[in-house]
Amino acid sequence: MDREVRIVSYILILLADSNLPTGSFVASSGLESYFKHGFGSPSSGIEATLEFVQNSLESYARSASGFVRDAHEVVVRFVDGERAVRLEDTLAKLGELDSLYEAMTLNHVARRASTAQGIALLTLYTKGFTNPYGLANDANSNSVVNMDNFVVEMKLRIRHGKLNGHLPICWAVLTATLGLPAERSIWLHLFLHARALLSASVRLNAIGPYASQQLLLHSVRPLVDEQVKRCAHLHTGLGEEMKDTADDGDALPASTWPLGEILAARHDLQHSRIFNS
Amino acid sequence: MPERRACPTSTSASFSELSYSYPLKLLSPPSHADAPGPVRIVYVLSYGGGLVGGDKIELDVEVQEGARLVLLTQGSTKVFRARDPSNRTQQHLHANVHAHSLLLLLPDPITPYAESYYSQVQTFTLHPSASAIILDWFTSGRAARGEVWALGKYRSANEVFVQGKRVVRDVLLLEQGELGRRMQPYACYANVFLFGPLVQGVLRALKERYEKIEQMQRSKPDEFVWSLSILGKAEKGRNGEGGDGAVVRCTGRETEMVRLWLKDALSGASEVVGRDVYDKAFV
Repeated sequence: MDREVRIVSYILILLADSNLPTGSFVASSGLESYFKHGFGSPSSGIEATLEFVQNSLESYARSASGFVRDAHEVVVRFVDGERAVRLEDTLAKLGELDSLYEAMTLNHVARRASTAQGIALLTLYTKGFTNPYGLANDANSNSVVNMDNFVVEMKLRIRHGKLNGHLPICWAVLTATLGLPAERSIWLHLFLHARALLSASVRLNAIGPYASQQLLLHSVRPLVDEQVKRCAHLHTGLGEEMKDTADDGDALPASTWPLGEILAARHDLQHSRIFNS
Repeated sequence: MPERRACPTSTSASFSELSYSYPLKLLSPPSHADAPGPVRIVYVLSYGGGLVGGDKIELDVEVQEGARLVLLTQGSTKVFRARDPSNRTQQHLHANVHAHSLLLLLPDPITPYAESYYSQVQTFTLHPSASAIILDWFTSGRAARGEVWALGKYRSANEVFVQGKRVVRDVLLLEQGELGRRMQPYACYANVFLFGPLVQGVLRALKERYEKIEQMQRSKPDEFVWSLSILGKAEKGRNGEGGDGAVVRCTGRETEMVRLWLKDALSGASEVVGRDVYDKAFV
């Protein structure tokens, strides 16, 4: 393995750790509400969970992967020091993507979960991934600019309400900063979305922990691969008017599961609940 | 390119321009006596009540200062099977809603037939003091022929700008491929966007209704389900002038359930356009 492949593999292993404090363990992305509203029954836990994972993953991939891709590209340009891209311009561009994602995420429960997990990822970086010895160019980094300051500045702006800090944007910042290529980043993001749903299903007692592993190995992989393939051409269309030609319109973010939207937005109406979304 | 304008005087509104061409038709009945302001209705009609592949409707709407415009249809818009999937049926609406004016867009639902290919883009530019209720809904198809979620492709995009700031870009994309499994047991889905000072009464009533819900464990899905999200941040761009915006989403096992619910849930709008006018919607 050459050095780059080894670094990427190592970063993938780190980020795939289910103990990472990213706040995803309090999110069910609507699964709890889905069960509460009578979709799926205790006897059909595996089937219902898989149905939900498929629909949720498809809709999330369609909505978010263009944002991860575009934000990742913005950060990579800055990290590479390409044509002296300034921090201010980079944050402004991320801010535009973040605002567009906000305008596309109207469900208040999803907004809350997305921004909570977004800032958690930036905190994970500043507290967990920065180099404690203050070495500018360490073994894990190709960066010619100081990304620690960048992430700190981004967090500050979120705290001051100048940015929302949505999950796909912050995920792109984290992964681009750590040197994970865009397509790997999207692939891992979608995998983690699916895995978080399975963990939620285990906590909700709909499936057992062994079934969860079986699903991850045999059922989730083709689902994630399929979505990565389907979404390979998606971009946010930021700055463009909404086009409507057969080619362009379909490359823009969209949700694909209206029922999931309704049920996820009703999360807070549940008489009792264990998740935040 | 058809265009219509409603200009207010104190109590009545008139059209400075109302033009259209095939396959679109715009009809404007005389104004109503009980209207509490300068209210006018326009029916947006298509010949034969349906659209075929390649049909492209472009509608530009200007609601001038203080005017109140209600856009309706007469029966659902049928989208027929397309021989060539790349030749979609398209509808584009752009509405400019000026100061202190109101737009109620309360059409009948879109009915996409089996193997139809449909795409619509609706853009609304709102002055901070303007108000709007925007209803966008669709059904599972031609139930009488046993067509349930058999459409080829359906795309609907709604974008709302308030004071130049994009506050909504809501895009739904449905494609064939186990679509029925994802959409059932429901046969009709609706989205409603509400903005501005004149819809605050409707919004208050919706909030009260929503906050009373306490969702207990169900053994099977309800016949009808709805959600309400307040878009509080839209308010900040308005200096508090317009109040909260909101999005309502709902679905039901039958189109009729959704229609009746919407008519009731939005009935507060009759206070700003008059009962006679409101009763022309959701019939």
